[in-house]
Amino acid sequence: MVDRPLDETELVERARRGDLRAWETIVRTHQGIAFRTAYVLTGSAADAEEAAQDGFVKAYRALGRFRRGAPLRPWLLRIVANEARNRRRSAARRERLSLRAAAEARPGDAVPSPEAALLSRESHEQLLAAIERLSDEHRDAIACRYFLDLSEDETAAALHVRRGTVKSRVSRALERLREELEGEL
Amino acid sequence: MTSLELRLRALGHELDIPPERDLAPAVIERLSLSRTRPFPWRRAGVLALALVAIAVGAAFAVPQARTAILRFFHIGGETIIRVETLPPAVERAQAGGFGMPVSRPEAEHTLGFRLMLPPFHGSGPDRVYVLGDSVGTVILRSHGRPVLLSEFSSAGEMGLKKLTVNQTSVQWVRVDGRDAIWIRGTHTLTYFDRQLGFREQTIRIRGNVLVWTGGRLTLRLEGSLTRAQAIALARTID
Repeated sequence: MVDRPLDETELVERARRGDLRAWETIVRTHQGIAFRTAYVLTGSAADAEEAAQDGFVKAYRALGRFRRGAPLRPWLLRIVANEARNRRRSAARRERLSLRAAAEARPGDAVPSPEAALLSRESHEQLLAAIERLSDEHRDAIACRYFLDLSEDETAAALHVRRGTVKSRVSRALERLREELEGEL
Repeated sequence: MTSLELRLRALGHELDIPPERDLAPAVIERLSLSRTRPFPWRRAGVLALALVAIAVGAAFAVPQARTAILRFFHIGGETIIRVETLPPAVERAQAGGFGMPVSRPEAEHTLGFRLMLPPFHGSGPDRVYVLGDSVGTVILRSHGRPVLLSEFSSAGEMGLKKLTVNQTSVQWVRVDGRDAIWIRGTHTLTYFDRQLGFREQTIRIRGNVLVWTGGRLTLRLEGSLTRAQAIALARTID
């Protein structure tokens, strides 16, 4: 007989009672998105790792406050993103994001012609530079929605704002980007 | 989805995001070492006592503060503990300042209460700093000096702990007939956050502080005002 895997609600309940193995499973399930969220907010792998780790430790200690039945991921992202923003503020700077090296094609990618690859890279670099010129709040909204593919609710949790604020920030950020890139799109 | 949005999605796939390490071993090791279970935040009946207990525990957890707790004050959501030696602390700027600057309506939404403010001309302060989801701070000017007004709910889910030393004066005073505490001199401040649990970073405060309660809020004024000036300002805050 094979034990069925525990669902997240059961894992949370067990962790709430002090079961660290249950929490370990939760950490492994969410550490990827937690790290990536912290990374796009700080631009630093070291800060992102610390923020994600501290976030999981604090979230465990605050589990008693987690509303039963609520989705866990936005709650975790909120805590991790808060840690990441604290580090960004402490450092008083944010590292710029960069593109993968041109040679690092994803497995299974079709191989573009050298000219197409160059054009595409230039276009990505232009867009990334325009994003880095946005205010932090606009940039963070774009990063969460399009780079991390977070839902509006998850973005709102990560950025600690209301859903309506996410919508307006994304809309204004897109408007700014269109203005900046006018003629290039 | 517009062409710009498609470009943004495509760009996301091209970003150089390093692969994450497995965080679980380090997280579990830290939690095992501290042997903590999730804090029972919702047990409101024991919460106030729990906050005080944690505050005292935290004071003892700092080696320099372990020598002695000399005296203990509690008002609203704030606990003030007099110790022989202050623990290591950072300046506020290094601790992340006062939090995120947001509009007043946004701050009130996040904090879950209406900010109490002194009378003002026009629409009032346009920027409120929100720390965690618990402490709201506005910068006022009084007697030509900047003064910080911070507010948080006294309702048990959040607390501030201050450690003071003998050279720091701590006095009970009155604000409109209500108990208040006046602290003059350097002390440290640690806060508990509703969302994040016990925040371990300790901040050094160099100004004078008046702490009092207004309804379900704990309020504190921090700056270089005299005691009389601070109390007079506190009386106008509603």
